[in-house]
Amino acid sequence: MIKKFIVAQNKEEALSVKRSTANSVFYAGGTEINRLDSSVQAEVAIDLAKLGLDTIEEKSDELIIGSMVRLQTIATSDVVPSWLKEAALFCGSFTRRNMATIGGNFALMNGRSYVGPVLLASRAKVLIATMSDDGTYGEDEVPVREYHEHIDTYQGALILGFRIKKSDRFVGTLRFAVSSQNRAAVTVGFGSEKDGSKVRIYAAVYTVGVLRLKETENKLEKGEITTEEELSKAVAAEVTVKSDYTGSGEYKRYIAGEGIAMLYGEFLKGGQR
Amino acid sequence: MTIQFTVNGKRHTVAVEGSETLRGLLVRLGYTNVRDSDDGDGFAGSDTIIFNDLPVYANLMNALQADGSEILTADSMGTSRSLNPIQQAMVDAGVVQSAYNAPQAALLLTWLLEHEPNPTREQIKEVLSGIYIRDAGYEHYYLAVQLARELIEFGKYKTPISPTFRDHLDYIGKPKGKVDGPTLVAGEAAFVEDRVQQGFYSMAILRSPHAMAYINKIDTTKAEALEGVVTVITHKTVPDVYYMQAGQGNPEPSPYDRKLMNQKVRHVGDRVAAVVAETLEIARAALKLIEVEYEVLKPVFTVEEAMAEGASVVHNSVAEYVVGAPDDIEAYNKGADPRDGKVVYQFPLHGDIRRNIASAAHGQIGDVEKGFEEADLVIERTYQTNQIQCTPLEPHLCYAKIDGGRLVVHASTQVPYHVRRIVARVCEIPEHKVRVIKERVGGGYGSKQDILVEDLVGYATWLTGKPIYYRNTREEEFIANSTRHPMRLTVKLGAKKDGTLTAVYMDVRANTGPYGNHCLTVPMNACSKTLPLLKCDNMKFDVYTYYSNIPPTGAYQGYGAPKGSYALMTALGELAAELGVDYYEVVDKNKVESGYMLEILRGLGEGREGKVVPVGSCGLGDAIAQGAKMIDWGKKEEGPGGDWKVGKGFAMIQQGSGLPGLDHGNAWAKLLPDGTFQLFTGGADIGTGLDTIHAKIVAEGLCVPMDQITIVSGDTDSCPFDTGAYASSGTYFSGNATYYAIEDLKRNILDEAAYQLEEKIEDLTLRAPGEVYSTKSGATLSYAVLGHTALGGLGRGQVMGKGSFTTEHNSIPYGAHFAQVAVNTRTGQIKVEKFYALQDAGTPINPEMALCQMYGAALKSIGHTLYEDMTIDEKGYIQNARLGDYGVPMITEQPEDFKAILIDVDDEVGPYGAKSISEIATNGAAPAIAIAIHDAVGVWMRSWPFTPEKLLKEMGKF
Repeated sequence: MIKKFIVAQNKEEALSVKRSTANSVFYAGGTEINRLDSSVQAEVAIDLAKLGLDTIEEKSDELIIGSMVRLQTIATSDVVPSWLKEAALFCGSFTRRNMATIGGNFALMNGRSYVGPVLLASRAKVLIATMSDDGTYGEDEVPVREYHEHIDTYQGALILGFRIKKSDRFVGTLRFAVSSQNRAAVTVGFGSEKDGSKVRIYAAVYTVGVLRLKETENKLEKGEITTEEELSKAVAAEVTVKSDYTGSGEYKRYIAGEGIAMLYGEFLKGGQR
Repeated sequence: MTIQFTVNGKRHTVAVEGSETLRGLLVRLGYTNVRDSDDGDGFAGSDTIIFNDLPVYANLMNALQADGSEILTADSMGTSRSLNPIQQAMVDAGVVQSAYNAPQAALLLTWLLEHEPNPTREQIKEVLSGIYIRDAGYEHYYLAVQLARELIEFGKYKTPISPTFRDHLDYIGKPKGKVDGPTLVAGEAAFVEDRVQQGFYSMAILRSPHAMAYINKIDTTKAEALEGVVTVITHKTVPDVYYMQAGQGNPEPSPYDRKLMNQKVRHVGDRVAAVVAETLEIARAALKLIEVEYEVLKPVFTVEEAMAEGASVVHNSVAEYVVGAPDDIEAYNKGADPRDGKVVYQFPLHGDIRRNIASAAHGQIGDVEKGFEEADLVIERTYQTNQIQCTPLEPHLCYAKIDGGRLVVHASTQVPYHVRRIVARVCEIPEHKVRVIKERVGGGYGSKQDILVEDLVGYATWLTGKPIYYRNTREEEFIANSTRHPMRLTVKLGAKKDGTLTAVYMDVRANTGPYGNHCLTVPMNACSKTLPLLKCDNMKFDVYTYYSNIPPTGAYQGYGAPKGSYALMTALGELAAELGVDYYEVVDKNKVESGYMLEILRGLGEGREGKVVPVGSCGLGDAIAQGAKMIDWGKKEEGPGGDWKVGKGFAMIQQGSGLPGLDHGNAWAKLLPDGTFQLFTGGADIGTGLDTIHAKIVAEGLCVPMDQITIVSGDTDSCPFDTGAYASSGTYFSGNATYYAIEDLKRNILDEAAYQLEEKIEDLTLRAPGEVYSTKSGATLSYAVLGHTALGGLGRGQVMGKGSFTTEHNSIPYGAHFAQVAVNTRTGQIKVEKFYALQDAGTPINPEMALCQMYGAALKSIGHTLYEDMTIDEKGYIQNARLGDYGVPMITEQPEDFKAILIDVDDEVGPYGAKSISEIATNGAAPAIAIAIHDAVGVWMRSWPFTPEKLLKEMGKF
């Protein structure tokens, strides 16, 4: 439970407070931190509202989306790609979308993540700021895959935003829940270059986390998998699942497989997202 | 830290702690209608505010975020005396019912109209996507926005609000708005929480972590020693009084199988101890100091487990009977464990608690075996339904105090008189020592028919003399509350080749959980509200209800009818499919019609023999025919294509209008000296518009405008007895009591007028705008003059009237619900594309509210059918005991094509021809959708809810 709320005036201060304060957490939209039985256990919140991270910048070949951009802003933006808009709308409540941010939701990186799988599938870059032990401030960008793979390394880093290349890469996402605001059993993200290279397959599985299905990616890239049916089976075999009230493990395997296969089917049809 | 911000234009400078939520701060500053219904889950939207021009949830914000902000709450809109256009339109459209979230919905729509004066349906849907409405559904919110736009643009409505009925009447059958609507939509004080005064004490409850266990030792010494603790209540200190929390009848058909606290806990969440303290924080801290030693027992969770040989016995108690004890009762009780206490039956219910059977009932007409022999086809199918939660936005709560040596209970209840009776019983005081004031009820749906918190709060208040406020957390709503009984229903049908039924058999096995709340009536309703739909000479039913260790069950809108309807109508669909006869034809062939003698009712009385009556007013045939036309029955739709397949289904439905021979309504009315009226009714308006029904009946009968009338209801001190708002009895029983009270008052007005005018009573009549008129002399006497003179020393005292209503007559509402679904054969997703609810409510007195109740109940039952499910683990814990985890239908789940249609039928007994409206609307979705799914993809869904996972399994996908 949050006991102290600090409004950071700049990025350096945010990082400095984070480094020096035990049990602290960056505070974006607050929808997870303040939520009943939150998964975030911290006593000190460092508010990022004044850091100017709430803009979407469009350049000729890329978009830079600030980490504090609200999901509703993403959902209604004219420049954000449709796959990311769809992911933002996975948050079924307009009121909550006005609060939740892309950075905060991405940082969750658990089975409740709306944007995690699709951002990972997109091969976006995460823009981060860090502070070294001697207090030196630095900014960097890391592939979103790397951020996910080494997430512990980036625990103290401040997510500034996401760099998304404009390209003809196929990216898609699907969410499987029994209603718009029930927890999703599985949310999947699939991405591939037009020629079938650089495949990325991710699944956010409730009570498990966000998983990369690397073996299946490799098989697809090598041409060992060529049909939706084969892909569905490969995903089902690789994905880690756990039974809970959102569905049995058996169901989650099936639906993760079918979800990815459906996106792959769209990709094969030449769908571009 | 000190922050500055404005709320509704008023500047605040306040010191704030880092741990405070924004909602906490706003409530602290007096903005108490920023409410909470999900404990900060960010789901239901009762805490919606406009923050820097954006709708947000105040519970999900830290108070310090408010620094420099501009905030609008519901108070920023109009008051009840000057509603803004959207507030007014919401009242007029009928969506303001239990209204716990109505101010927040109004705030959102006001914000929307300020930003988009002509919003699309999609924009309205988006803005309302974060607010949960259970009672009235969402369809009329679209209408409300349209009406508001017209009000802004033209100063009046151009769109009709609803159909109207009975042209010869002025108020009945016309949309007139809800009498308490303005107060509710404005967010003014109306609920129990608004009545709590400074200086109250808090109560917190220690709940069992085990599904079944004996409390071998409990030590409260440390808790009692904590500063600020007033008392700690345990099974060792409560009165030795057995009772039942089900507020129903007297004598009750449910067994008295509990005390306020018991040495044996029977479900996770059962009461172990209660602490009364100066603050909630102290009470909760004290709970942690209570030391308990449990002897854990092996629980049973399902009917099958409870039935099994050697199963743990949930109530290994001493069985007692007030009347009708079996001869072998002494021998029967030899095996009882004294730690289990007693089970006291008011009369025999065919229970056998050693085998976990709380009650049983059997009945039949004709010769079922012979009927099956005569059949060309016999099918037998078993259907399973699950445990679901009522989820009222306002949780169960209670505020009680001592006033003038009496116990005063402010309750959110459907049954004030049962609250009085039960609280008096557990406090061991006479009923006149207890006053129950029913406040506005922020949603009940049956669960507030049970006395789930008032018993303990009332007792603790009487014990300590302190004013006590208690409120369930949302988790407690799930684990320690009344829910819908899970049931296993087996249906056997025999029919001729053309679909004519020759025999029907229903076997119902219900799971009542730890206590026997409504253990006879709910399962009985699975039969009594379904079998009388069928014209069949051979019908039989067996009903058994089992104790188990799931969270408690009880009343839920529709009682057992939704489950019985699901099983019986789906089985009828299966029968039609096997016969190769169109389902519509089978239904049409076997449905009852006006005049058909309902012999089956003989065996369907609640604990006694039922009365056989013919079908009275009946819109069933019209509902089926009209619905079939609307949905184009028989036409195969192509649907969206790809993996999506489309199918259609429907179900005929019925309910009751209260319980003939059991229910009872009373009312009295008086003429005031200025010619206005007050009506005092025992009927409990739980948001459904019952007070408005009373006002209309008074207005119609006395020829006065509704604003000349005040309805006083739900106060046990001033109002006469009424059995309460359950079993769809309000309009029929309470309304008829008012009708007869007004008839009596009319007679007495005429009598007094005859005296004052020195004319004969037969020459006098009442007429608008509220006067007595002599058809002989032409003289007139206004109610004001009459009322004043009557009390002026020369008159004969206050003119009053009283009415009472009981009946043996069954005024059954009928209907049919139609569904068109699209089913994804790959993902198992089911979309309800179209849903048409057609119902005969007799004369709909409040047609706009009736339609909203149909929308609300139908959408609720779509949620029950497709996804709502209390998921229990192997230890008895509910896995999804939060609104955000449990999942309920929001506006985004509503079918795109959703229509509620009132079939015009005039009933011969109901007040002005009215019957009941909303419970029946929960009965149709499950069978209609099951049949539609079969039509789409060829599988039968025999387990409720029809999740994608279950559907995929049925389709053999994994």
